[in-house]
Amino acid sequence: MYKVTFAFEDGSVVEAFANEGDNLLEVARGANVAIDAPCSGNASCGKCRVQLKSGELNSKKTLHISDEEYQAGWRLSCTSTVCADVTVLVPDIASAYKSRMKVADLSSKEEIAIFENAKRDIQFSGIELKNSLEIVEVTMDPPSLDDTMPDNERLVRALRKFLNIKRIRIPYAVLRKLPDVLRENDFAVKCVLRTTSDDMFVYDIFGKDEEVIAGGLAIDIGTTTVSAVLINMDNGEILAKGSAGNGQIRYGADVINRIIESQKPGGKKKLQDAVIKETINPMIHEMCKNAKFPKTQIYRMCVAANTTMNHLFAGINADPLRMEPYIPAFFKTNSLFASDVGIDINPDAHIIVAPNIGSYVGGDITAGTLVSEIWNRPEFSLFIDLGTNGELVFGNSDFMMSCACSAGPAFEGGDISCGMRATDGAIEACTIDKETMEPTFKVVGEPGTKPIGLCGSGIIDVISELFMCEIINPKGKFIREGKRVRHDKYGMGSYVLAFEDEAGSVKDIEITEVDIDNFIRAKGAIFSAIRTMLSSLDFDVSMIDDVYVAGGIGSGINMKNAVNIGMFPDIPLEKFHYIGNSSLTGAYLMLLSTPAERKTYELASNMTYMELSTVPVYMDEFVGACFIPHTDTTMFPTVMEEIQSR
Amino acid sequence: MPFNHKPQKFNAKINTVTIGSGDKTVTFGGDSTFPFYSFDAPAENTPKVGVEISDMGLEGFSAGIKAYYEGAETMGDIAKKAAAMEGADFLALTLEGGDPNGANKSIDELLAVVKEVAEAVDCPLVVEGCKNVEKDAELLPKVCEVLQGRNVLILSEKEENYKAIGAAAGLAYDQIVGAESAVDINLAKQLNVVTTQLGVNAQKIVMNIGSAAVGYGYEYVVSTMDRIKGAALSQNDNMLQMPIITPVSTETWGVKEAMASEADMPEWGSQDERGIDMEIMTAAADLAAGSDAVILRHPQSVATISKMIKALA
Repeated sequence: MYKVTFAFEDGSVVEAFANEGDNLLEVARGANVAIDAPCSGNASCGKCRVQLKSGELNSKKTLHISDEEYQAGWRLSCTSTVCADVTVLVPDIASAYKSRMKVADLSSKEEIAIFENAKRDIQFSGIELKNSLEIVEVTMDPPSLDDTMPDNERLVRALRKFLNIKRIRIPYAVLRKLPDVLRENDFAVKCVLRTTSDDMFVYDIFGKDEEVIAGGLAIDIGTTTVSAVLINMDNGEILAKGSAGNGQIRYGADVINRIIESQKPGGKKKLQDAVIKETINPMIHEMCKNAKFPKTQIYRMCVAANTTMNHLFAGINADPLRMEPYIPAFFKTNSLFASDVGIDINPDAHIIVAPNIGSYVGGDITAGTLVSEIWNRPEFSLFIDLGTNGELVFGNSDFMMSCACSAGPAFEGGDISCGMRATDGAIEACTIDKETMEPTFKVVGEPGTKPIGLCGSGIIDVISELFMCEIINPKGKFIREGKRVRHDKYGMGSYVLAFEDEAGSVKDIEITEVDIDNFIRAKGAIFSAIRTMLSSLDFDVSMIDDVYVAGGIGSGINMKNAVNIGMFPDIPLEKFHYIGNSSLTGAYLMLLSTPAERKTYELASNMTYMELSTVPVYMDEFVGACFIPHTDTTMFPTVMEEIQSR
Repeated sequence: MPFNHKPQKFNAKINTVTIGSGDKTVTFGGDSTFPFYSFDAPAENTPKVGVEISDMGLEGFSAGIKAYYEGAETMGDIAKKAAAMEGADFLALTLEGGDPNGANKSIDELLAVVKEVAEAVDCPLVVEGCKNVEKDAELLPKVCEVLQGRNVLILSEKEENYKAIGAAAGLAYDQIVGAESAVDINLAKQLNVVTTQLGVNAQKIVMNIGSAAVGYGYEYVVSTMDRIKGAALSQNDNMLQMPIITPVSTETWGVKEAMASEADMPEWGSQDERGIDMEIMTAAADLAAGSDAVILRHPQSVATISKMIKALA
């Protein structure tokens, strides 16, 4: 047994014990030390680097570590095994993906506004904001020797008198507290009920004078990020908001790797635990603590997630999703309850799952489509969700089409050497001076926060600026030299955004040709999907009236720059609207309003799913789009004009 | 109803690129119609045929080709005989011996061969590298240097080494740049864009968009060439208006139809005949799909294809 000490930049340490030959990354995972390994430990991404401080490690050398870095103690944790007591430094960038969980009792005004606007818009479209949860006061005659009806029947009788519904169910959780609550309150109580036309379910019972709020939880489970809001089911008020990295990340950055991981023995349970026990439950705990709200008073939950995520969330075999003919276990289900999956809220709470449309277009998209309201306008709109998968919906009030393309984790900072999610220390916006090649940037967090990496919106800005300043060519290769442009011994170029002393990390923040290449492929996937879908309908990009962009790519994506690099079509910028995390907003609406939930099922069944991999021209479009801004520059007239004028 | 001829006119044409020096030159491209559509507009120029020789001498060549070169002792002799072949418009020297995974000849050895061939003949020259991108990035700029003034076509710069080869051939030594891509219209165009952004004149570029022997995924080649010609002519895309040269022999003489011996495949007939057939079929299809020049090996193929061009043009 050897002692492995993980030291962090903030001075804290975590100790673990390991046997000779144990893989360091596995040891870290076992000790709950977050080290980002998007490639699942295949030594291909180079992100799991740690610095050897004392002791010894058995490490294979890889291309990701230069000779000087190796001398300085840098090792990839996935290629290192334990052979003695050892202390390693885990740099911030390696653990930054697992952002500290962020919980706020009241989110920022803008965020609240997103939900308020969504509520207003959905009502405006004629969908009522009502759900089947209600709180009613019931008074019963106390029992006597002449009236010996048991408590549960007494309650049923009172409720039936009140609402005249035949079938009334009282679950164990309520039965358990029933005698006490009734007697403590002289048989005058408040009940939390779900009523439908022929059925009533009693979720909870309180004294008549207690202040009772029926809570609901809307949650968006992204491949990379999970975010949630705790709401008052009566009026939609937001009681708390939280977000955290998806704990499944250590099992791979993308859905395919996760599915593969879930096929290993005990894998389904491991992945379900990672998202529920390690991510969602702690977040619920924090949110409830913050809002001073009892967890058991959350009576309903709505999950919007991509198809793989909602399968893994429910602990259902997701393997058929990744293999032809790509069939999920369900599109729509209403058989999930909190106690089934171990969500720490009222055990009888029903879990609404936003419906999937295909194996790669899931509930996050149907929920987002609900919010974008492209189904409510005669004009043609395009809805784009930028995540690990890029998903598109195009259409109007008459028809809708959807497709998904694999963009990879680049938009959320994965696959990029200095990439990270949009959390503290992420560069989220950047400009570069054409003459001096010096960058100016905006960092997420308190003023004065030092940069430690780049998030999606920052990467878009950097690449656009590098291209517009003619520092890189359309292939993403460096064509100018300067203090900030470097080449390694293999000739690979990179641009340094912040040297070590300017950065909040132990290494320079730079963007390499390989990063740019990865990003070009991600943006090429998005653009070619747009083109392929539109041309399959014989449409041209000029026919798009509005583009709604969603996703956790950063607080604000610079649309101009996204057009510059050829990610979005060159149409007037005022047509683009950033709608934030529409998956969460959609889940919120489905939770709050039963008609909105039904509308979403209707939208899902009316949407045509297009499998891009079966469209022959997609590959051609993709190769054409893997160029900045595009191989066919006539599609980007305003970008070309701007390059001329710069 | 009488036949009413409606010519398909384009307001664009393929660039003309001339290789060779003095009075021995050959010009590729120049058409403003699809290949051999002489009924739409008279052809300005006809496709050209080159003869391939290798720094490895006659090693690996078929019996029929060896017979043609009989008596040739040196590379100079081989070059002279090749240039004298009936129907030959230019000579294409491949430096395949430079491949690090093959004979791995040194750059100096290869340059000696280049010089010997260049001194032996005064016809227009095409020089092909060894196909290894790193070695070519070193070798081909040196070739450009020793052949300064001969205005040769250098095959090829690729995406991986376009900076070294494009700059040497197109800027430093004023040769013609051959831009090679892998059977994809977008990749072909992307390479032309980055090459011209280096400062290379678009009129000094010839494309090799990649090839295959007929029957070996060849439909992609036809489709790619056809779409390139279509974009160049109907959309006036000046990043695709470079003439196309297609090295046919390196593809066709490496497939089993050309390589299986008569002892192994008696029912397939003469090995030499099979090789010629593959070469002629592929070259004819390339020309019909849009190639402005082809490179062949067998004297009979060269004669046949040049006859076909005369008959159709």
